[in-house]
Amino acid sequence: MSAFSHGERLGGRILGAVLAVVLMLATPSLSLAQAAANELARQTLGRPYWYVFVAYAVVWLLVAGWVISIARRLSDVEKRLERD
Amino acid sequence: MKSHVANEASGSGIRWLAVGMTMLGLALMLLLHWQVFFWVNTEATMGVVQRIFYIHVPAAWVGVYLAFGIVALCSGIYLWLGDERVDMAAVATAEGGMVFTTIVLLTGPLWAKIAWGTYWTWDPRLTSTLLLWFIYLGYFIVRGSTENPEQGRRFAAVVGIMGALDLPLIHLSVTWFRSLHPQPVVLKPEGPTLDPDMLMTLMTGLLAFTVLFLGLVSFRYGLERSRWNLDLKTRRAAAS
Repeated sequence: MSAFSHGERLGGRILGAVLAVVLMLATPSLSLAQAAANELARQTLGRPYWYVFVAYAVVWLLVAGWVISIARRLSDVEKRLERD
Repeated sequence: MKSHVANEASGSGIRWLAVGMTMLGLALMLLLHWQVFFWVNTEATMGVVQRIFYIHVPAAWVGVYLAFGIVALCSGIYLWLGDERVDMAAVATAEGGMVFTTIVLLTGPLWAKIAWGTYWTWDPRLTSTLLLWFIYLGYFIVRGSTENPEQGRRFAAVVGIMGALDLPLIHLSVTWFRSLHPQPVVLKPEGPTLDPDMLMTLMTGLLAFTVLFLGLVSFRYGLERSRWNLDLKTRRAAAS
């Protein structure tokens, strides 16, 4: 025989159903809130730093690329000057 | 048109000037990086992403205004005097200008993504700067598109002069049109409105980029001189 009465069991089921509905509604809200919080955290720390480092890397890469390009062309012309 | 040609003198002086200026430019770049990442305060509204400002603005000064100003000036002198050395200076500067304008067009969107929420918008300042990049590209295409090299040089010189008309459009676009791009913070009638430390960091950036650019353009000019010497040698060998 069950320790709970029929009324108690019904009350427990209703409470469980309400909790399930609350969880179903709250879970997406919580995940959305978490996503928004992560976005805000990135706004102040992670993502902008990444963009700054990429910007400075772009400068060095393009300047280095240009220097290498000049050096190769100059070396080629000087070799031809010596050969001819 | 009276034609002058570059003499065959050694470019060792130019090479030493190029080495000296490039080394000084690199040293100033290191100082700039120390100032940007360890010294200057973080801007209150935009946060750390505002540090892109210290490379974006100097690259714009060098690639857009200084380089294309020199290209237009040298192109005008070349059309007037026909001195090939001036044309060599123009082509060397145009190549450097294109590299630094590319830096402007790549660093700007990285900053814009955080500040405006988008990498690119057809804002007047951005559009006129992209137009300048295509004018630089046109300068090289026109130069290489003719069978007669002298004609190509003259056509390119015309593009170099016409392209300079885009410079006031770029500079004044933020005041003439409704623009997302920030207004000038240094070149203002009432004087700079930047924090003194930020202004000093910007000045270091402007100096570093200018010296580095002039050093590398001198190297590129040396390449043009070597090509000219090779061409002269080939023509002399063919004639004899």
